[in-house]
Amino acid sequence: MKLLITKSKSVLMTIACISAMYVSAYAQSPRIQLTSIEHLSAKASQTVDVNIDERLIQITAKFLTDPDDAEVRKLVNNLKGIYVKSFEFETDNVYSTADVEAIRSQLRGPSWSRLLNVDSKKEGQIEVYVMLEGEKIGGLAVLSAEPREFTIVNIVGPVDLEKLASLEGQFGIPDLGIQSPKSNKKKNEDQ
Amino acid sequence: MRSALFKNCFVVSLMLVLVAPAQAKGDDFNSVVKMIEQFYHVKHESIPFLARAGMKAATTAAKLKGGTARRIAEAGSVKLAVFENQSFEYDGEVTQFRNSLNAALNDTWTPFVQYLAPIDKEQSYIFLRAAGDKFNVLLVTIESKEATVIQITVSPANLALLLKDPEGMSKAITDEATINDQE
Repeated sequence: MKLLITKSKSVLMTIACISAMYVSAYAQSPRIQLTSIEHLSAKASQTVDVNIDERLIQITAKFLTDPDDAEVRKLVNNLKGIYVKSFEFETDNVYSTADVEAIRSQLRGPSWSRLLNVDSKKEGQIEVYVMLEGEKIGGLAVLSAEPREFTIVNIVGPVDLEKLASLEGQFGIPDLGIQSPKSNKKKNEDQ
Repeated sequence: MRSALFKNCFVVSLMLVLVAPAQAKGDDFNSVVKMIEQFYHVKHESIPFLARAGMKAATTAAKLKGGTARRIAEAGSVKLAVFENQSFEYDGEVTQFRNSLNAALNDTWTPFVQYLAPIDKEQSYIFLRAAGDKFNVLLVTIESKEATVIQITVSPANLALLLKDPEGMSKAITDEATINDQE
């Protein structure tokens, strides 16, 4: 009986360790889990969901041959995923702080950094986070929380922040009015 | 005797497991059409009736573009089902149809874009899957009084354009499917 209890304890410990490792790895992923806010679709007047995985991105990078698309092709070339979830509501405050927190909490890991010098032309709160893998950007998350809109854009893979704005309005990414850190800096110097 | 019975059962089960996904994959277009019919209690209409209206719209669209509209679908690949002048009202949660659709297709198709606008009574879904060196695109559009289900095969180059501009290209696909399928 004692042996059984000891064995059970060690099995539980092993499960706990594996779970902790899994959660840790999951928290460090540049892919944000959006299932926790799925319930907002039932309350929203508009819901947009876009999923572009690595295979589809590679096709885009290979087959967008128009010279006008050269910059976009270069930008998406090494990406591993583009995911967008956007909700629009008829009235204010339909989504809760807990809904926003469910996303923010994933961006508090040590690999994620919040970019403070990127802001929006539009009103509302826009937070831009980058995940660093060594010195390179491994992913990006844009969280836009307006009274009647809640949007999350998650780009997995190395993103060129200077050219990020050129992706807006394409690949299902909404136009959030994001300015590059460089243009933002210049604007501040001019003032 | 028992062993032989067990062996036969195993073989039959194995065959069912191997055959079922293949059948589901081949018949997803019809499954989606049936799903809409059952969910909204509607019936899809014959294509020739629609084609006449589509033809007029296409000619206008081509003129506006200043020439012939570009062909997106691979020749002969268009499957089309249309529901017209029927009610797509549903009392339950707006997400219920989407959930059923995703549950039916997610094993073999990748959900690319999903758009729900319950106040405007609009739903649009684009699913993708590989088909050899080409791709299948399944486009489901539901509005308050009409719905369209389109499946086409596209080249990787046209898929890239769809990925870049889902809204514009899905409209172009709908226009083309309701025109060229009858040519």
